[in-house]
Amino acid sequence: MSDTAQAIGGSSLAAGAGASGLAAVHGIVARDLARAFRQKSRLLGGLARPFMWLVFVGTGYNAIARVEGAVSYQAFVYPGVVVMAALFGSMLTAISTVYDREFGMLRLMLASPAGVSALLTGRAIAAAAIGFVQGAVVLVFMPAVLSVSLSQWLAVLGALALGAVATSVLGLLVAAPLRSVENFAGVINVVLFPLLFLSGALYPTGRLPAVLRAVARLNPVTYAVDLMRLALGQPAEFSAPWSIGVLGVTTLVVFGLTAVVFDPEQRFVGRARPGGPGRGGAEPNPPPRGGVGQ
Amino acid sequence: MSLPAIASAGLGRDYGSTRALDTLDLTVQSGAMVGLLGPNGAGKTTTMLLLATLLRPSRGTARVFGHDIERERATVRRRLGLVFQEASIDGLLTVRENLIFAARLMGLDGRTTREAVDRILASTGLSNRASQPARQLSTGWRRLTDLARALLHRPDLLILDEPTVGLDPEHRERAWKLIEEECRERGTTVLFSTHYLPEAERCDDVVLLANGRVVGTGAPASLMATIGDAVLEIEGHDAPRLLSVLERAVTVRLAIKTARGYRVGVTGAGDTLAKLVAASPGLARFAVRPPTLDDVYFARTQDAAVVARSSAPQVPA
Repeated sequence: MSDTAQAIGGSSLAAGAGASGLAAVHGIVARDLARAFRQKSRLLGGLARPFMWLVFVGTGYNAIARVEGAVSYQAFVYPGVVVMAALFGSMLTAISTVYDREFGMLRLMLASPAGVSALLTGRAIAAAAIGFVQGAVVLVFMPAVLSVSLSQWLAVLGALALGAVATSVLGLLVAAPLRSVENFAGVINVVLFPLLFLSGALYPTGRLPAVLRAVARLNPVTYAVDLMRLALGQPAEFSAPWSIGVLGVTTLVVFGLTAVVFDPEQRFVGRARPGGPGRGGAEPNPPPRGGVGQ
Repeated sequence: MSLPAIASAGLGRDYGSTRALDTLDLTVQSGAMVGLLGPNGAGKTTTMLLLATLLRPSRGTARVFGHDIERERATVRRRLGLVFQEASIDGLLTVRENLIFAARLMGLDGRTTREAVDRILASTGLSNRASQPARQLSTGWRRLTDLARALLHRPDLLILDEPTVGLDPEHRERAWKLIEEECRERGTTVLFSTHYLPEAERCDDVVLLANGRVVGTGAPASLMATIGDAVLEIEGHDAPRLLSVLERAVTVRLAIKTARGYRVGVTGAGDTLAKLVAASPGLARFAVRPPTLDDVYFARTQDAAVVARSSAPQVPA
């Protein structure tokens, strides 16, 4: 029996505030990693995607395309494909939160003493780790296309980690408003593909029309790709501090935003009180099977 | 004296313009077992989610062991064990992994987790299924795993939303044995909802909800006593006539229209019944039995079906 539990007069084994948050995050990460490695087909699919791009599309483009400053299209696209692998790995893991919402696991996590912040932290760590591993698997084969020095390897791994973390929190933000699995496929089309295509991962964005180029600059994935190129000594659009700054700020801002929008019931602001102004009937979702509901 | 496990005052919750729970004033003493009964949509789940700190009240307040469900959520949560209508079990994890996950969520450290998981596996009879992926479990064992999950950190208040729905009698029995042991031996307070009303007869108190309001509360025996000391089930074309005869001859506490006749709660009928029935040859079915919580449920929640009601004993004509 913990001292805290005794102090508050109960016999529950549940620990005090500090420890409970860490234990909860640990539990969530362990579960997500176990799940990721047991879903074999999803894992293999995630690994096959970048190699299909490198081998099938890369070889074809090699014959017809030349990117200024790069030796071959495959050499140009390699860092982009590494980021693509991380993007899909991180985001799909993060977005799978919507399955938990539908199947009762989310409610369990939201009802834990550490609540939504532990849930989001744990899942972001797990999603980033999975994205990092998927990107790293692609990196293993990089020497076949590019020669890489030791310091470049370290820089590339750092860029990969930053990109994986940023895309994992983006995935959590995407998952926040989703209430059912039916939206999942649509989300991949309207979120993942635009993030990938307008990131400079597969072709340089420099010659795109101004509007699309502007969108590409708002896309955090652009900075992960650019940083990766920079790490490999390829021509890059932004400086390293700038890209690192953008990815870091994006991660923090998106995480904070996600914590706010993830579960409206977790916020205790602006509640309608008799005689006071409030949100009254502004509860947007009476979710029957969501995190909450009758 | 210890604080009540639950004390709510004017607690209510709306979804948009729908009043899911109108006002709830509820006090549950520590160590009590309380059943929440009522039709679908009565507000049972909403009540439980409010007390579980997963929903914010639209009005009113509630305290769990003296802690406010809004301002002291983390403290309240440490005292709770929750079972929702859908089992919170991950099919990709084994039974043991599911329990470890739940223990970590509650903030248990590594050693406490191992001890708690081993103990609950043994007491629920899940030990030989511990390494099985949860998706391979039958509905019954899945539910018991879910219950083990809610019990393993030794909660002080157990909130169970239809814990036995869809279970066969054997697993239902096992589930209730666990819950009752937890309540009677460890002194854990239990609040549960159910549609199997006989399950609620083991409660210290039941709370009947309908349309978001409390329509009855008390010990099962005293609620059943409000129906009378016997319930007659009468069916057939003579049933309406017999009912009016009964109303004049004995004290009819309550008459409920059923699909084929009436269910009539009476007191002090005694020997007169036999004579009255003998004089009604057009009865397809006639039975006398003690009142049950089902009768209370219909009487309190299905107002339209109640055709006669008297609170005071009637004087026979």
